[in-house]
Amino acid sequence: MTSFPWLTAIILFPILASLVVPILPDKDGRTVRWYALIVGLIDFALMVYTFANNYDIHSDRLQLVESYTWIPQLDLRWSVGVDGLSMPLVILTGFITTLAILAAWPVTFKPKLFYFLMLLMYGGQIAVFAVQDMLLFFLVWELELIPVYLFLAIWGGKKRLYASTKFILYTAGGSLFILVAALAMGFYGDTISFDMQTLAAKDYTLKFQLFMYAGLLIAYGVKLPIIPLHTWLPDAHGEATAPVHMLLAGILLKMGGYALIRMNAGMLPDAHATFAPVLIVLGVVNIVYAALTSFAQRNLKRKIAYSSISHMGFVLIGIASFTDLGLSGALLQMVSHGLIGASLFFLVGSTYDRTHTLMLDEMGGVGQKMKKIFAMFTVCSMASLALPGMSGFVAELMVFVGFATSDAYNLQFKVIMTLIAAVGVILTPIYLLSMLREIFYGAENKELVEHEELVDAEPKEVFIIACLLVPIIGVGFYPKLLTQIYDSTTTAMTAHLRDSVPSIAHKQSNPVAIGKFQQAPKIAKTVNS
Amino acid sequence: MEPLYDYAWLIPVFPLAGAMLVGLGLISLNKATNKLRDLNAVLIISLLGAAMVMSFALLISQFQGHPVVTRSFEWASAGTFHLNMGYTIDHLTSLMLVIVTTVAILVMLYTHGYMSHDPGYVRFYAYLSLFSSSMLGLVVSPNLVQVYIFWELVGMCSYLLIGFWYDRKAAADACQKAFVTNRVGDFGLLLGMLGLYWATGSFDFQIMGDRLQELVESGAIGGGLAALFAILVFMGPVAKSAQFPLHVWLPDAMEGPTPISALIHAATMVAAGVYLIARMYPVFENIPTAMDTIAWTGAVTAFLGASIAITQNDIKKGLAYSTMSQLGYMVMAMGVGAYSAGLFHLMTHAYFKAMMFLGSGSVIHGMEDVVGHNPVLAQDMRLMGGLRKHMPVTAGTFFIGTLAISGIPPFAGFWSKDEILGATYASNPLLWVVGFATAGVTAFYMFRMYFSTFEGSFRGNDTKIQKQLLAAARPSGADAHDEHHDDAHAHSHASKPHESPWSMTLPLVILAVPSALIGLVGTPFNNYFEAFISAPGHAVEHAHEFDLNEFLIMAGSSVGIGLIGITLASLMYLSRKIDPSAIASKIPALYNLSLNKWYIDDIYNSVFVIGLRRVARQVMEVDYRVVDGAVNLTGLATLLGGEGLKYLETGRAQFYALIVFGAVLGLVIVFGVT
Repeated sequence: MTSFPWLTAIILFPILASLVVPILPDKDGRTVRWYALIVGLIDFALMVYTFANNYDIHSDRLQLVESYTWIPQLDLRWSVGVDGLSMPLVILTGFITTLAILAAWPVTFKPKLFYFLMLLMYGGQIAVFAVQDMLLFFLVWELELIPVYLFLAIWGGKKRLYASTKFILYTAGGSLFILVAALAMGFYGDTISFDMQTLAAKDYTLKFQLFMYAGLLIAYGVKLPIIPLHTWLPDAHGEATAPVHMLLAGILLKMGGYALIRMNAGMLPDAHATFAPVLIVLGVVNIVYAALTSFAQRNLKRKIAYSSISHMGFVLIGIASFTDLGLSGALLQMVSHGLIGASLFFLVGSTYDRTHTLMLDEMGGVGQKMKKIFAMFTVCSMASLALPGMSGFVAELMVFVGFATSDAYNLQFKVIMTLIAAVGVILTPIYLLSMLREIFYGAENKELVEHEELVDAEPKEVFIIACLLVPIIGVGFYPKLLTQIYDSTTTAMTAHLRDSVPSIAHKQSNPVAIGKFQQAPKIAKTVNS
Repeated sequence: MEPLYDYAWLIPVFPLAGAMLVGLGLISLNKATNKLRDLNAVLIISLLGAAMVMSFALLISQFQGHPVVTRSFEWASAGTFHLNMGYTIDHLTSLMLVIVTTVAILVMLYTHGYMSHDPGYVRFYAYLSLFSSSMLGLVVSPNLVQVYIFWELVGMCSYLLIGFWYDRKAAADACQKAFVTNRVGDFGLLLGMLGLYWATGSFDFQIMGDRLQELVESGAIGGGLAALFAILVFMGPVAKSAQFPLHVWLPDAMEGPTPISALIHAATMVAAGVYLIARMYPVFENIPTAMDTIAWTGAVTAFLGASIAITQNDIKKGLAYSTMSQLGYMVMAMGVGAYSAGLFHLMTHAYFKAMMFLGSGSVIHGMEDVVGHNPVLAQDMRLMGGLRKHMPVTAGTFFIGTLAISGIPPFAGFWSKDEILGATYASNPLLWVVGFATAGVTAFYMFRMYFSTFEGSFRGNDTKIQKQLLAAARPSGADAHDEHHDDAHAHSHASKPHESPWSMTLPLVILAVPSALIGLVGTPFNNYFEAFISAPGHAVEHAHEFDLNEFLIMAGSSVGIGLIGITLASLMYLSRKIDPSAIASKIPALYNLSLNKWYIDDIYNSVFVIGLRRVARQVMEVDYRVVDGAVNLTGLATLLGGEGLKYLETGRAQFYALIVFGAVLGLVIVFGVT
């Protein structure tokens, strides 16, 4: 162990670096984008180095902990730390944000402000996953809204004002619940503390837990998003530019899922046991409802936005499954969708740069001129529809198996929910493949070809997609690559959660049909005649 | 021999490496890669050749009695859950490996000739190699999850290859239809897999079967639930092997280039369904409901396919329906417990049907010289005829295939089909009647196809028929019309078709050998095949004695009905003593039923496709008007209420965020101090 404040350095480096941006000598945005990219790369390298050397994947404890008193009157502490839940997401943040900076190369409007916000956001997002103080969490959660709001309001499309206002109303409104819950939980009982581990150790009454849980569920449900709190997302996506898409889909949505696991499940386990069936139902609704809406959408960005919502449904089911596999799958789905969502939105941006339209009716036959974009779009769509060999499949399979084998629910509930969720498996290819067909297949749309120059992908675009595909396919081929990083944390967490479910404790003495086979299947030893 | 087994994982990895290498080349150095056509083809063919050599070595080793080898590694784990992946080499696997690699390598050779003028030549090879890899991965799978993984991957390759000519609207529609229909089957497979895992705690075929039986016997799980799981799993093969009611994708899949139709949609991928039933046999065989469902699904499909094939005029569509019908036979065989007979037919069918598809490709290649590159004209049998004189090799091999599928001894199809019919008769005479009648219809439509294509006089230059066909095709694609015109008149066409180049005829000739002779390994009097491939858990049944009388009756009757079909076909399409159109006009209802594929596509279209669109549209309306509408109203209320929010309307929205942030900060401090 080392005394160097690694995490603080990782968080503060991009933020401090962003302060230099305004005084950089730069006329047309060329210097500043290189500057931002290098800062991003250094910070990413820093976190990889830190975790490679100072993080023990076999421990389920909080690691790299730092804690400094900030405002003693408030007991507000700058305390950071990572465990298996946050570490993969911190790396994802560094990865996606750096790629987003690269994807932002063509931005020419107010470049200084853009990259300043980008770097600010970089640090803010990492802080959300790393801070261990609930008040501090609220602060960084709010802090990271401002750059997104400005991204939408300044660099957005035609309806940018509407979209950005909606975004801020929703998320700021939602986060008020975080504040209320943080204060309530902090002042509960004898000790006043906002430290997450202290909060988690407090013994709340069930009624109090349920209130807190409901409040936090709204706050994080907006972010994830959970239907019916989702309508800001298609509007925000509809107006955003490609790099902002990557941040929104790649990282921001994951904050909701992360906080749900960390706080709702981690700190309020009794309420979680009560609320879990609700989460399952919401997750199933998310999957099917958003998939249907996506199918009907004619606007490309909105279509992919709804697809994101649909995929987040699996996270909810995984969180509420009370199995190692389900929780592990939920976390994997977050990372996986971060990569896949970012890649799809980046490609949508690249397509839009060429066609200058997002309406599917105005496209068609684009594949003949844009062969590489066609190929990349196909691969990323396949990843999104959970094709085996890519990360999305593993995550969804883990969630499915986890939920199906969960002993926290009765058979009827599981059968019905699994059945409906599996309908999503049919709906996803329908909307994604129709989308591909309408954009790329068929005869060329004459009107489009006459007005727009459809050039194929540049090397930079191929590079960005390749970077995203390497982990997608790597995890798809060998999921343990990623799951082993956080397995000890999710296992410990599941054990903790299962203690709070009365029905499981009940069943221990009354084994179900599977009882004796519940051990790991030993496939290696068997021999087919 | 152990190193051979240690390195067996290379079999699927070789073609994968080829596909990756060429794929990377296409993405990064597109022009250079596309120029090196022959080099790419040679690379991919030789990698597959290496896999084929290993497959043969494994087959020989297994034949000599080497025990089953399973190797695996931990692929995924979470807490107490562990899932292994790996490979298992047993009799069935080694046989499937040989079938897949031999057909694939011949198809690749053929592709060199067939796609020689196509700009996507290299891409096509990359896809072919990717497909071979996935298919080989599928057959070595030791557990259900791994099967599912490769199952979807072969489906993806099929999607890419059907949509290979992506500028054609029909291909675009067909590839999506194929993928989505298969996903419907996979939906069942996934649910069944989850259910079986919930019940048995394992994904291993044998363990699942044993434990499920144990649980049903002890009453821990209801028999109905077990049957439900089994039938859900069976939905996977229903889609993949184009069984009723999920067969609709296969005929449309003929929009892909012909080598694909031979490899994927006749010999290998569609047979994967039968292979999965064979693998899942330990689970299925103890559940009578599931076995009956399988048998009847197969029988219905066999008859349905044959009844539609009678009236098809597109040579590839005819073959597609024939494939569907033959797959029905295999599935029916599995359902009545004729495990080795079903797999025997899988093997013989793989060879003769691949050959016939390649033959049809050769015919189309020849026809394109006369009528141009328009599938509406080049694939229609009404424009063919008399091709035997111009394309003798194609005609000869196609004839062998026709005899084989019609069940004429000693050709391959006779032995396998006869074995299936015999087993069916022993199990359920009603099923046998369906299978028997289908055999007659099969002989009829196959010879109808052969006679219309290769015998009589050549009709390709008849512009009247051409115009009729074009007119009939027009409503389906108004925009395609222009390009047809260009094609039909721009080039000056030859007046006669020509025989295809050697790279196309050689695979035909090679495939003709097993099509004619491979049935001899499974003759009822000396059945090597059954001795080698038998249902897991069942020792080889030596008790199965050969009864000459029974054989003669069964074989005689099936050859008899085959001959009746052939005679009828020759009267109608060779000597033209009976006018087919006269028969058609006498029974218009039946004729139209067959011509319109029993209206199944139309029903699906109006119920599922249009229905789903409508539902989706309504959900979107709800989302827009109700969910979002409610929010917008509340948003409006806050806007009107809050005086300070005027900034929003004046556009200085940036301030708003700071105000919120400041207010929240203030709130925190206020709360903190008190």
